[in-house]
Amino acid sequence: MAVRADDIPVPRGRPRLAGRVREWLDQESILGPVFVTPALLLLVLLVAYPFLMALYFGRPSEFIGIRNFVRLWDSDAFRQTFQNAFVFTGIAVAFKLVFGICLALLLNEQLWFKRFIRGAVLLPWVIPTALSTLGWWWMFNSLYSVVNWTGIAVGFMDPPGPNWLGQKYYAMTAVVTVNVWRGLPFFAITILAGLVAIPRELYEAAEADGAGPVARFWLITLPLLKPVLAIVVLFSTIFTFSDFNIVYVLTRGGPINSTHLFATLSRVVGIDTGRIGEGAAISLYLFPLLVFVVWAQLRFVRKQAY
Amino acid sequence: MEPIRRRRFLTTAAGGLAGILATRVPPARGQQREISYLCWNNFAPASDKKLAEIGQRFTRDTGIKLKIDHVSHMGPQQAKYASEVQTQAGHDLVEMRMHFPWLYEPQLVDVSDVVGELEKKYGKAISSAYEGAHVNGVWRAVPQYHGMFVATYREDLFKKASLKVPDTWEDLYTVGKELKKMGNPVGIPISQNYDSISTAGPVLWSFGGMEVDKDGKTVRINSPATAQTIEWYKKMFRDCMEPEVLSWSDASNNESIQQGKAGWIHNPVSAYIVAKQRKLVTADGINHHRSLGGPQGRHETDTPRHIGIWKFSKNVEPAKEWIRYLLGKREVYDEYIMSGDAFNLPVYDKLQDHPVLRTDPKYAALRGEGVQYHTYGWPAPPSDKVQLITNTYLLPNMLAKAVTGTSTKDAIAWAEIEMRKILAG
Repeated sequence: MAVRADDIPVPRGRPRLAGRVREWLDQESILGPVFVTPALLLLVLLVAYPFLMALYFGRPSEFIGIRNFVRLWDSDAFRQTFQNAFVFTGIAVAFKLVFGICLALLLNEQLWFKRFIRGAVLLPWVIPTALSTLGWWWMFNSLYSVVNWTGIAVGFMDPPGPNWLGQKYYAMTAVVTVNVWRGLPFFAITILAGLVAIPRELYEAAEADGAGPVARFWLITLPLLKPVLAIVVLFSTIFTFSDFNIVYVLTRGGPINSTHLFATLSRVVGIDTGRIGEGAAISLYLFPLLVFVVWAQLRFVRKQAY
Repeated sequence: MEPIRRRRFLTTAAGGLAGILATRVPPARGQQREISYLCWNNFAPASDKKLAEIGQRFTRDTGIKLKIDHVSHMGPQQAKYASEVQTQAGHDLVEMRMHFPWLYEPQLVDVSDVVGELEKKYGKAISSAYEGAHVNGVWRAVPQYHGMFVATYREDLFKKASLKVPDTWEDLYTVGKELKKMGNPVGIPISQNYDSISTAGPVLWSFGGMEVDKDGKTVRINSPATAQTIEWYKKMFRDCMEPEVLSWSDASNNESIQQGKAGWIHNPVSAYIVAKQRKLVTADGINHHRSLGGPQGRHETDTPRHIGIWKFSKNVEPAKEWIRYLLGKREVYDEYIMSGDAFNLPVYDKLQDHPVLRTDPKYAALRGEGVQYHTYGWPAPPSDKVQLITNTYLLPNMLAKAVTGTSTKDAIAWAEIEMRKILAG
């Protein structure tokens, strides 16, 4: 029996609406904003609003220009914090970059249990920082330090071992170590994504031309990874400058302010002492510099891309 | 009963509605009498349980619903207060530590009437409670309880080595040398934590020194007393302690004596109580002795707690009723204090020889005869500037610099400059 088009029941109500929605979403001008809206909302609520509030709190009751920011230089603790932030960020980002590239190259090889290893590498990034840093605190703790115990047991250290959190260079080493441990997966996985995107043909052609592994890395891998590296370094620089948990749990900024960062000092002044304006000024101190870093790096990325 | 006429009903209803709209206060019968109280997790968990129990009885007796929330002490507590003040919303009552009423003075209700009633009944509030909660002539919070620092030592080790229990800070140096030789050093933190200040303060005060004068404006750290304090710390660090004290947190000295390492620490009674509760092998050997003295007397750091009421609260009277119930009824206050196992001691004069101090012979030293108790920064009033000196750890950092190589003169000069800048800011 022949079936006429009229006989086929036409879905009404909801299906018609669903069809219309599908039609809308096919248009790029609608789909784009739909995808961007959740992220935008999160940014507005969790980043823009607190940032504007910090600006609001940073201003004193009467307008004094940038005197609040200038006056911070009088404080030895602030000057020390300023120096710490650059030392901490510089060393930590450099180590994360080098180790991140090495780890990504390793993960890009055909390894046994590749998926498991890739998953395991992400663990430090996934575990809440405060919790994992507590674990590190126990490892560096003067009474229970497993690091010193192991070092002494294998004859690598003389008893009682380094005073990890009580001597300024060791303390900085400890906070940088934990930051590198925590941030490494971010570098490794992002760089790995960049590595996977490099066409195999380039390596095959280079091999055919007699290029060794080092030449292939310097002439193919590294240049093609540059845009990814720039983005990763940009994000990591911002995150590392604004780190809080690691220092707060491990050293509370000590000994003698030698590990204080902007966020930890800001908390001491703003929250613990109730000087909200001064605390906000400390946390915003690097904002102009970071804006410049973001602008320069994004410019670099755009140049690389086009 | 006379029936209500339509005209009268309309007049009454319209008048009532106008009154409500004008005052923005709903009629009492319609109001939900409910208050909320934010307090920190007490060091004695039993005390929190008792507080909840008392709260239920309060609700039963008064009809006022009480919601008690707990927050972890120190860090999260301060952040929570700051956010409640900024948003002008949150709890009606808050437990405040030490000098917090000074920080939040403009936001706190005047509770002088409640404190007046309590002082009439129990005697004056102790000096440290007064220093912390009596702000510019007004009680901004009601003194609730306190927990002071006390000399805590391994009595068993002292007996074994026939060491004399010290009476002064100088005596401590004498026995400290022996303790270190025995492998049980003195454990006084010299790091960025509050316990460091809690010991540095009494040592400085006992030598006759201070950070800032009582006018709150004049820096007094550059004095012979400070030099004596630093010299004492230097020799203690060299001969009686180990470098680990430079890295210690607030908990480290407790752990050190509990785990059998330290032979003497300066801490609230918590080190002993926790060892007892956890049945640690060191618990029986730990005891306390009278606070140490110096040429200018016997001083001790105290950490009084108070209850404040936020000005933005819409339930000020019910909130005061709760404070009167908890602290103003002797039997309830006693019950609450007893549940704290000497962590929480009463803050009023007539209650100082409280029965809780007789629940364990090791609490005898907590009676503190002849000891002057103060909060951080004494004798300066704890303004935000004086508290910034405390919170940026200038005193322990000055000591840390000195014991790690900076000359006494330079360490004092550094602290003086930093303190001056803060007070000028």
